[in-house]
Amino acid sequence: MTAIERYAAPQSLDEALGILQQGEVTILAGGTDLMPQTKAGRVAFKPTLMNIGRVAGLKGVTLDGQHLRIGALTTISELLRDPLVAQHAPVLAEACDHFASDQIRNAGTLGGNINNASPAGDTLVPLIVLDTEVELASKPNGSVATRRMPLAEFFTGPGRTKRNANELLTAVRIPLPKPGHVARFYKFGTRPALDISTISIGIAGVMRDGTLTNTRVAFGAVAPTPVRAPRTEAALEGRRLDAGAIEAAADAARDEVNPIDDIRASAWYRKELIHNMTKRMLDHVAQA
Amino acid sequence: MNVAEKPVIAPESLIGQRIQKKDAPEKAAGKTRYIQDMIVPGVLHAKILRSSRVHAKIKSIDTSAAKALPGVHVVLTAADVPDQQPIGVARDHLPLKGERVRSLRDEIAAVAADSEEIAEAALRLIRVEYEDLPIVATPEDAIKPGAPLIHPVPLAADGQPKALPPKTPIAFAGKPDNIAMRFDYTHGDVAQAEAESDVVVEDTFQLHYVTHCCMGVSGVIAEFDASGNLLMYSNTQVPFLHKREFAEYLNIDPSRVRIIQPPIGGGFGSKLDIYPFEVICIFLARAAKRPVKMVFTREEEFLASPTRQPVLLTLRSGCKKDGTLTFRQVHTLHDNGAYTSWGATTPFVMMQTFSSLYRVPACDYHTTVVYTNNPYAGSFRGYGNLQATFAIEQHMDMLAEKIGMDPLNFRIKNAQDAGEVTGQGMSFKSCGFKECLTTAAERSDYRKKHADNLANRDAPGPVKRGIGMASMLHVGGGAKIYPSDGCGTILKLDDFANVTLITGASEIGQGSETVLSQLVCEELGLPISAVTVVNNDTAITPWDVGVHASRTTFIAGNSAIGAARKAKAKILAAAAKKHGCDEAMLDLRGGFVVVAETGEPVVELARLMRNLHFSDKAELVMTTFYYEPPSVHQDKGFKGDVSAAYAWATQVVEVEVDTDTGIVKMTKVTGTHDVGRVLNRLGLEGQIEGGVVMGQGYALTENLIVENGVTRNPNFRDYKLVTAPEIPEMDITFVESMDGEGPQGAKGVGEAPSICIAAAAANAIYNATGVRIFGLPFTPEAVYRALRGKAEKPNWQAWKSA
Amino acid sequence: MSLKHDIEFTLNGVTKRLTVDVTMNALDMLRDVVGLTGTKYGCGEGECGACTVRVDGETRNSCLMFAVDLDGRDIVTIEGLAADPKADALRDAFVEHGAVQCGFCTPGMVMQAAHILDTNPDADANAIKRGLEGNLCRCTGYKKIVDAVESACCGGR
Repeated sequence: MTAIERYAAPQSLDEALGILQQGEVTILAGGTDLMPQTKAGRVAFKPTLMNIGRVAGLKGVTLDGQHLRIGALTTISELLRDPLVAQHAPVLAEACDHFASDQIRNAGTLGGNINNASPAGDTLVPLIVLDTEVELASKPNGSVATRRMPLAEFFTGPGRTKRNANELLTAVRIPLPKPGHVARFYKFGTRPALDISTISIGIAGVMRDGTLTNTRVAFGAVAPTPVRAPRTEAALEGRRLDAGAIEAAADAARDEVNPIDDIRASAWYRKELIHNMTKRMLDHVAQA
Repeated sequence: MNVAEKPVIAPESLIGQRIQKKDAPEKAAGKTRYIQDMIVPGVLHAKILRSSRVHAKIKSIDTSAAKALPGVHVVLTAADVPDQQPIGVARDHLPLKGERVRSLRDEIAAVAADSEEIAEAALRLIRVEYEDLPIVATPEDAIKPGAPLIHPVPLAADGQPKALPPKTPIAFAGKPDNIAMRFDYTHGDVAQAEAESDVVVEDTFQLHYVTHCCMGVSGVIAEFDASGNLLMYSNTQVPFLHKREFAEYLNIDPSRVRIIQPPIGGGFGSKLDIYPFEVICIFLARAAKRPVKMVFTREEEFLASPTRQPVLLTLRSGCKKDGTLTFRQVHTLHDNGAYTSWGATTPFVMMQTFSSLYRVPACDYHTTVVYTNNPYAGSFRGYGNLQATFAIEQHMDMLAEKIGMDPLNFRIKNAQDAGEVTGQGMSFKSCGFKECLTTAAERSDYRKKHADNLANRDAPGPVKRGIGMASMLHVGGGAKIYPSDGCGTILKLDDFANVTLITGASEIGQGSETVLSQLVCEELGLPISAVTVVNNDTAITPWDVGVHASRTTFIAGNSAIGAARKAKAKILAAAAKKHGCDEAMLDLRGGFVVVAETGEPVVELARLMRNLHFSDKAELVMTTFYYEPPSVHQDKGFKGDVSAAYAWATQVVEVEVDTDTGIVKMTKVTGTHDVGRVLNRLGLEGQIEGGVVMGQGYALTENLIVENGVTRNPNFRDYKLVTAPEIPEMDITFVESMDGEGPQGAKGVGEAPSICIAAAAANAIYNATGVRIFGLPFTPEAVYRALRGKAEKPNWQAWKSA
Repeated sequence: MSLKHDIEFTLNGVTKRLTVDVTMNALDMLRDVVGLTGTKYGCGEGECGACTVRVDGETRNSCLMFAVDLDGRDIVTIEGLAADPKADALRDAFVEHGAVQCGFCTPGMVMQAAHILDTNPDADANAIKRGLEGNLCRCTGYKKIVDAVESACCGGR
């Protein structure tokens, strides 16, 4: 049985933050995670259910100086067909193409995928390798305050983040790519989409004269949160992307992840996939 | 229309045409009402409390709080229905469990309430105290000496087995061991045949749990009228058998049970047995004196509906250097689960494949079916044949390789022909097996690709291509398992020459209404639109054994033709009399009685019907027919010609194996089926394609993971049905062997298309990689492990434990 | 009992006012409150597509939508689509191509197929398969469904 005492569908950010400030709020956006989680009893409703779907200004992709700014309520389908995303963050669009199904992409929001904080969340790995920041807003003293944080530091565990209870994730900001920027995403699966990731891999960096710098490597579904892979990055950073470097990076990747056994895959197999597919992706980067 | 204006009518046949499914427009408009959609006035909603323990004694059940919840009408436990009778193939299953739970699906209590929400809330208020018992998690464990017993013999106060009357069902009398059933079959002298063999192979194969995943979840509505007659709205595939069984459980006359079948959201064999929820719903309706509806959740559907039979199978096969098969020896261990349903009887079909798919002089087959604390297996499209074919067709490739013979030639050399009577007594009156083999091989370019793939195995690049084939034999003319394998038809024509076809055969989505209409129209020269089919009410329809064993087109088709031919004879005799001609010269075409030779119209059929009706004789055209196939029951040694016809098929599967991930992509399936004759080409293709993809799921993706009695993935997310982007290219062709007994020459085909895919995929993976995998499914991790030499080969000491 | 909330929305072209439980999903609302049963329950978790409806021009799994979130929106179900002459060709294509067997997935398939035609009228077989990846069918093996949608694309090229 639920204990919802209040349903609110605010129209403005100010109003939404005001409700959040009062505490004990379950936030509803697309609903694609919240509905099954509450039905199955994995998530309990708080006394206030706040539907943020009608809050103005939280939707859409814009250029904001040297950043791509994506509103938290932008749906996965909108990202998939957005020309700015296609131009500046194609790897994010690629991840969106592997996301659930058309019906869920039409409902699910980027903010929802981030806040759900699944270690296998499809957009998280590409966003991390793109140095994405999250933007959090709150209204602690009657006026709106915002703060930013790298997405790579945002997650604290499955379903858990550093978002405070009075904060709303309003947008993400992705720095515009530098010349020579490359980014790749791989999601393991036997089908194009509608699959919970067994592992996913994101690789990004600036490729110049066969050498990779500003290297970012992140993995999904191998830890309680999506993770950066510092040793793999170190094995690549500033090195010529030849067979030796690629093999060393793939080995480092396998050694530094620490996945678990579950019904989808064993830890051993996940490590093998991380190795083999990191290598395959780097081969493709080197050959491109 | 005046006959004089009507030009000559040329003969036209509906046979082999693409006939649209009669119920498709309603379904595509969302207007079809399935059981989930039905509202009966005054209906209550029911839910079942299932065990939270895999194996335990029930110490106590407290339903007081549930009964006190507003909106709750009835709460039942075993104690409330002391008259409950055991259900199931072995009568070992009481619908409500009072003393012991043997699997996680076990039903402990049930609630009927004003709404589903209230019923669910009531379930949460029921307190059950358990005392855990040791779990029997695998069939190997179940037959170990000293294994915990699943159905222990009840003891009297003195510690001795209770004295019970003979024939007391297992549910009350227990079993002194965990053996549920045994099957032993033999023909020929296996020892001698082995001694004469040049090559012998032996392997153990492991077949996993999968489940039907009907898109419509299980549901039933039960209600009693004021006189105590039971009306059930049920999804059953066997209404007449169930009518009788329900009457038995309720200890009432079968005439007081009526079953109406709303359109069904998928069957595939899942609705062949009576399940506890149906009986429990009847108990609730009886207690509440109100109609009660029960519909599963998808999770419940995964946990508490039947599965395909998991099997551990050791096969020993031999042949001579010239490619002549010599013998097969088979031992299987069937995991029965906690109760016995049709899965336990899959050896009936499995042994046919071992004994008779190819000519084999000696065959020895043994199955032991054992109780465990796992979910129990039921019947599922293919009925053991997927499992048997998986083993046998891998061995065909392995033997061929050992003697250095082309695998296609090896199969052709040993394939059955028409006229053959097998060691098991099956008589192949029509048999297009060799044509299936050669056609599928040619269309897929099997020989060349097989050789090319072998040559490219060690070429650089992680993705390897493979091609593999497998063939199957399955009953195609019913299966004489019950006292009758027949089906009745009642046919009537109205004053406008519209036909009502009343048949015992149920429509479960497979298209029986359409094909039966087509067969009737072929006889009567009418368009399909002239037929209304009534097929879903035991109070109206004549008896039929049910939808199983790929029998409906064959049996119900022959029955419908029989009734139509009687009607036709009556019509032509009446026309001849009225118009003063010889009835032997007449025919029915395009809604007219015509002169057969010239096509010249004699009288419009509708006019003739009215003339008959409103004449002095006042006659209507109404006919009945009951068709019983000329098959026989098997003897005690499982020998006999159990089906009136047998269906054959060869399927060639092409795969790409990514050796970096173990992902197997099924790129193409080339299938050739001996269907006797193509009746409705559209419906036939649909059956084959759907079956191929179901076979693909069995081979590659579907896996109901049961660990220590717990189903770990009771959802589509992790169970993984095949989705649209994954399907292979399909090239489906038909061999028309024109079966002499079949309706218009046709044979049954419903189960056939799923059977070969996993076996052919195994051979294709071997062709691609040189690695043979003996267990299903070929999930990426399983394949990857096998490629890296890290797979655990199924290792069952069949000969020791037998 | 749980909190209730008033909503107003357009359902198949007609304004509808309802009071619903705030935790109720749109599927249960359509089937049990409104009484339109063409939209099917297949899994309740967004994995099968049997409950597909159109919301503000985009298809959604109604089992994953909160009914309260329908407030102010425009909903089309299979009943609405079936009444729209523009959808006749698609329904006919399903019938003609043998895309229907047990039919339980069909309303969701037709809804999603109509969305594919709306958003990508030039969709080829691969795009259609991707568009239908969230709709499970156990009977047909999908091929005839894909054929049906492809034939309806570009008015059946």
